[in-house]
Amino acid sequence: MLTWIRTFASRTRTWLSPRGVDQDFANELDSHLDMLTDENIRRGMSLEEARRAARIKLGGVTQLKETNHELRGLPFIETFLQDARYAFRMLRKNPGFTAVAVLTLALGIGANTAIFSVVYAVLLKPLPYANPNELVSAFQANTQEGVPETGTSYPNFEEWRAQNHVFRELATIDFHQLTLTGLGEPAEVNTCVVTPEHFAVLDVKPLYGRVFLPEDGKRGAPPVVIVSENLWRGTLEAAPDILGRSLILDKRPFTVVGIMPAAFRSPFINSKPEVWIPLVQDPLFGSWMARRGGHWLAVFGRLKPGVSIAQAQVEMDAISERLASEFPAENKGWTVRLVPMQKEIVGDVRTALLVLLGAVGLVLLIACANIANLLLTRATSRSKEIAVRTALGAGRSRIIRQLLSETAVLGLLGGVIGVALAYGGVRALSSLLPDNLPQLNAIRVDNFVLIFALVLSAIASVAFGMVPALFASKSDIQSSLRQGSGRSGESGNRRHARNFLAAAEIALAMVLLVAAGLLLRSFSKLTSVSPGFDPRHIVKAEVSLPQFQYSKPQQWTAFSDELLAHLKAQPGLQDSAIGIPVPITNGFINLGFEIVGVPPASQSDSRLANYVSVSPDYFRVMGIPLLSGRLFNQQDIASAPSVTLISKTFAQRYFPNQDPIGKRLSFAFPPNPDNPREIVGIVGDVRDMSLGDAPGPMMYVPFAQAPFWGANLVVKSNLSTSAVTAAIRQEVWKIDKDLPVTDVGKLPDFLDASVSQQRFRTFLLGLFAAMALILAATGIFGVISYSVSCRTNEIGIRVALGASRATILRMILRETLLLTFAGLLVGVPCALIASHLIGHMLFGISVNDPITLAAVAITLTTVATLAGFVPARRAMQVDPMIALRHE
Amino acid sequence: MSADKSDILQGTLDLMVLKTLDAMGPLHGYGIARRIEQISEEALQINQGTIYASLVRLLQKRWISGAWGVSDNNRKAKFYSITKAGRKQLNAEAENWQRISAVIGRVLRLADHG
Repeated sequence: MLTWIRTFASRTRTWLSPRGVDQDFANELDSHLDMLTDENIRRGMSLEEARRAARIKLGGVTQLKETNHELRGLPFIETFLQDARYAFRMLRKNPGFTAVAVLTLALGIGANTAIFSVVYAVLLKPLPYANPNELVSAFQANTQEGVPETGTSYPNFEEWRAQNHVFRELATIDFHQLTLTGLGEPAEVNTCVVTPEHFAVLDVKPLYGRVFLPEDGKRGAPPVVIVSENLWRGTLEAAPDILGRSLILDKRPFTVVGIMPAAFRSPFINSKPEVWIPLVQDPLFGSWMARRGGHWLAVFGRLKPGVSIAQAQVEMDAISERLASEFPAENKGWTVRLVPMQKEIVGDVRTALLVLLGAVGLVLLIACANIANLLLTRATSRSKEIAVRTALGAGRSRIIRQLLSETAVLGLLGGVIGVALAYGGVRALSSLLPDNLPQLNAIRVDNFVLIFALVLSAIASVAFGMVPALFASKSDIQSSLRQGSGRSGESGNRRHARNFLAAAEIALAMVLLVAAGLLLRSFSKLTSVSPGFDPRHIVKAEVSLPQFQYSKPQQWTAFSDELLAHLKAQPGLQDSAIGIPVPITNGFINLGFEIVGVPPASQSDSRLANYVSVSPDYFRVMGIPLLSGRLFNQQDIASAPSVTLISKTFAQRYFPNQDPIGKRLSFAFPPNPDNPREIVGIVGDVRDMSLGDAPGPMMYVPFAQAPFWGANLVVKSNLSTSAVTAAIRQEVWKIDKDLPVTDVGKLPDFLDASVSQQRFRTFLLGLFAAMALILAATGIFGVISYSVSCRTNEIGIRVALGASRATILRMILRETLLLTFAGLLVGVPCALIASHLIGHMLFGISVNDPITLAAVAITLTTVATLAGFVPARRAMQVDPMIALRHE
Repeated sequence: MSADKSDILQGTLDLMVLKTLDAMGPLHGYGIARRIEQISEEALQINQGTIYASLVRLLQKRWISGAWGVSDNNRKAKFYSITKAGRKQLNAEAENWQRISAVIGRVLRLADHG
């Protein structure tokens, strides 16, 4: 080993400064020759003879020098560098070829690297917590009702926590915003509402101070808060005495007990958290803690070491069975479902990202096929050069090595430019990525991604370099040398390889185009679907009332009445109303209800509908039509008889073949669950969950009879959004200057944002498909052009023998179409497989959508024909005289 | 390249060069070649150039060192001398060689008798 290292060190040293050593050896050989000559002269030879004999005795001087050089230096690297230098020269001599090849490859590598950086950050990087594979999310599920996973209630969570033996700790998290006052303007802070064990589960330490203690989670404990390092360094001006001071959140003082490091994020939360408070102190959810019904609490935990998720599932199954028999009203039919936290966080983004990665991989494959084709073409015209090299003694492996060095240089150039493109691509992607993508902030071109790019370009260069290199090195020296131009006598094999590659490009492009076409059609259907309301000219804003100041429902109603009266007095605002929640933008509230006098057919036949609390003018502002009966009016106040409106789907599902008007419903929701509501009218359906989900049953109640501690305003106006926003702010602050107005925006923008993930993947897949189409077209163009130039002779003869130009054109176009159809033939089944893979992303069209397939086939054929037409025209204009003289 | 020759032949030549330098003291390439020819009683007629590959290998392993000097008949020549490490290697190799040749000899005798 030691001697090996010494040898290598010596070789490297010599290789770094070779000139002196070579000269030294030349001198040494000279001296040796002189001594041999002397000896020969002593033996009686003439000087001439003595020199000759000496040279024979020593052996070939050049060879000796060569051997010595190789022995002393690093011949492998040297030949590679030599090849690389030569390759650079060759590439510089063909700038057109080089530019096309390098750019094609750079686009492929760049796109792949950019997408991979997203895939890596979102799917592959482990969660930023200690032993992340121990972290598990726990949901409640109800298969009978088709609820795959939802939250639980606090009493249920307490039972889970107390009864299980598989979790080291369980915790909950919720997220909303609170108003921070007392430090300049009122501000909204991102608030994580947690149970005290939150930090223990994630195994994190505070930067300063402490995390929550179990006592902090008890009812009646003094309110405490943990702040983020960012909030501390920013708004709190890095006050050194921050621990023990108090922050005013929603008009209530919280004592600061700790600071979390800036890098720490709570799971499931995409915004930067600024404060953490115990659930029991939360003005929103704190009051819900006593209720066993309801599914609002997100639970996660850390498994004990060595406990598998399957074991934990068995234990939780037993616990949920116990709960179902103990509290049948709330827990009958509900089970617990455990999901690894990483999987839960990534969610359904996974498939979309993998589809994109697959698509961009196909683009690279097409790019490689294209470059392989270019190289094959070039190899054919270089066959004479290769033959000369072979004749001069280059072995097959040496020639392959040289050709591969050329492709390696190409690959390296493409890789470097590709990585540069990827940096730009990632920046572009980041602005394009939907905000709700998990781990969004972790996406960057880091070392791992760079290694990926490097490996990718290496694989790519071998992929597109090997085929032509093998072909070229196999060429027959004799025939190649004999050919004058070195191009007309192309081997059939090579032509087949080129045609194969071009057809393969068509097939791959077909797959991408069909996938993109399907997504595009889905997306246009999705965005043109009627949501059931008219979002035009509506601005939405949210006002949240601090519960400590506005604690009584009467205060909530009074506030909203006053605000609506103020807004209606504004001349620029046409119409204003309140709706909680506003469809699509605010999520939905799914509630159970009973029909008075009609017991459910069976225990499991539960009645659920989405619940909305609205002011009387809501339907007018939103453009939701009244189908029968009446709307709410100003008389439907708290003291008046309780009323409700139902949607068309509600009426059809729960009152088939009857008139629901006059029937009474009782809700499992305050303020007065025992007071049944009379149905006074039926309104049109609304897509309230998302544009992609069919409208479900909905029930509306008057805000005056079922107020909330805040309001979502919908304001119709032809004024600009900023003017409307300013007007709303002004009116809100007239009533209470400490109230923040949040989530402001045009309703159409909210609808747009709700399909951002679909838009993102449609756009990217469309982009990749367009790249594939262009690459495939260039591929066809290259193959046909080359074929035409090889057949110039033949075409000349045909024309001389009387073939018309139209015949020639037809001949070349037939060649083009044959290639295209071969590609389509293979492409259709591949495309069908691919479209089944993305089937669940489609909306409103079938997986085997014939229109998309036909449109793609026609597009590809047209583009290929156009690509073939340019060289075909050239063939048409061949002058037989010149063509025949061509050789 | 050097890998064309079998290792054992290379090793043999290297060993002979080492032994020559050990026995004769500093010598130039011509001298070493000449000496090997003489000792083998002209049975080993080599292209004298081949010993330079051997010299490079030995130099790289630091078993010999080389320096320019002046020869008996006043010619500039590069002189090689064995190093301490080289001597150690020579002893080990020589022992090894003798053991192998003894074994081979015995096997050959055995074959004769059998």
